[in-house]
Amino acid sequence: MQNAALWLDRRFGLKEHSIAHYAWVIVGIAGVVQMVGAAIRMAFGVLVDPLVAAFGWSPGSIGLAYALMSIVTALSSPVAGYLGNRFGARRTMAAGTMLFFIGMMWTSQTKEIWELYVAYGMVFGVSQALLLVPVVPAVASWFRRHLGLGTGIMMVSWSLGPALVVQLLAVLFNTVGWSQAFMFVGIVGTVTLTIVLLYFRNTPEEAGRVAYGTKSYDKPLVTSGNIFVSTQQEFQSYVYKTNAFWNLINIHFLGCVGHAVILVGIIPLGISKGLGPLTAAGVLTTISIVSVLTRFVTPVLSDRFSAKTVMFLSFLGQGVGVFLLFTANSTLDFYIFAVVWAIPYGGEGTAFPVVNRQYYGHSPMGSTYGWQLLGAGLGMALGGALPGMVFDITGGYSWAIGLSAAFSLAGAVAIVLLDSTHKQLIPDWPEIDTATGATAATVRSPIVQPESSSTGD
Amino acid sequence: MKAAAPNQPTDSRSPELERFEIKRRPFLGFGLLMSSVIATLAVLIYFGAWASSDRIENRALAAGIHESEAESEWWEDGLVFACPLH
Repeated sequence: MQNAALWLDRRFGLKEHSIAHYAWVIVGIAGVVQMVGAAIRMAFGVLVDPLVAAFGWSPGSIGLAYALMSIVTALSSPVAGYLGNRFGARRTMAAGTMLFFIGMMWTSQTKEIWELYVAYGMVFGVSQALLLVPVVPAVASWFRRHLGLGTGIMMVSWSLGPALVVQLLAVLFNTVGWSQAFMFVGIVGTVTLTIVLLYFRNTPEEAGRVAYGTKSYDKPLVTSGNIFVSTQQEFQSYVYKTNAFWNLINIHFLGCVGHAVILVGIIPLGISKGLGPLTAAGVLTTISIVSVLTRFVTPVLSDRFSAKTVMFLSFLGQGVGVFLLFTANSTLDFYIFAVVWAIPYGGEGTAFPVVNRQYYGHSPMGSTYGWQLLGAGLGMALGGALPGMVFDITGGYSWAIGLSAAFSLAGAVAIVLLDSTHKQLIPDWPEIDTATGATAATVRSPIVQPESSSTGD
Repeated sequence: MKAAAPNQPTDSRSPELERFEIKRRPFLGFGLLMSSVIATLAVLIYFGAWASSDRIENRALAAGIHESEAESEWWEDGLVFACPLH
């Protein structure tokens, strides 16, 4: 095994060992952060009935806390991304861990509904952004090349982790009660996050290592010092001037509305078509399991081929696939839909770090990714609200299915209007000349954006 | 195996980026984003107005009066007013 790894290192001309690389530790930590940070969000449904029983609050007013949390997380995402760039992902996530602890403890002691809104909706909402936004750009900085592989593995852990933790939380809520469960999750989660953050390093240089995929002829990148801060501001101003920056926020929004409608509406839709509750839940589980495959494959393919084409196919598949639901009436129809639709759905949002790398090179992507998650978060909030709203008005889900298709297909059209991902849009991040210590940015894109910068591949 | 990381530069001079500029403003990207925002608002207003007119109609039917005589909330009036299709 070790011989094979060493052969691979020589074959690819890598500076540092490919399999025992510390980048995989960082990817693992990113998976743990997501598992702890997102599990309680994903388990919110389990919380509703105990709170109704304990306080007599309506499910709608409790659900408002979840909606508030989603919106607060979305709105905090660009700030979290900026803080990650400015102060480092580790410090930002440490602040997120503190807020996570406060949010969990306060929620466990909630007596009034407004306390739930502040503790869970706002404090926990901000902690989500501080924990989950900076970690992705930090992982990206650990990959000089093959970012798709790192992103793919991270995305798989992000979907499997919460799925496992949600089951544990459901048991916890039933055995020790909701208040004790929140305290338990708050303490165990905070201890876990603190331990993994001790091993987290913002950049390979901070850990005294080189990034994964660094070749012997690569010059090192600037990752700290005054020049890092000033150049970052300059590069971010270039990013804001590209069409892709604004359009990618738009695309993430459209894609997330498209699949949130289905993820929230598939169980009630299945039940309305005669499926049993467990069978309908199985459809959602099938979607989660099948989508793991494309969560991994999509960033890898995006890195290897055209990210734009891969994203377009994902959005197109997600939009066209929902038409199967118009004629779905039996259990088999729903499970066929689950398998067919989950494949493009899994690839909808996982290629964004790779696209950022292809457009903006090795410049820190915290702010850019944070803005994209703002679009995604608002899309998830809107898409989650649409099925119930449409059902209340029309008495059916046909309009919701149509809207899901329309949003996904609009996203596919917006992708066609992106610049080619084969062309970097801004200069590459400065490298250090090891001989002189001087810095120089490599301009790999056209000096001036061409008139036809908005055309496709 | 651990490779030694290089020393980072200590000066604050920005690297040479002469001749690089982005002259055009991102009208297309920003325009697409705004189009989505406007289309989303239109969808919300349409369904909101639909829900509002249903609520007003149900109250009118329950009270046995005409829709125009039924009392409505400010947001119901606002949504119906904003939607050209209701």
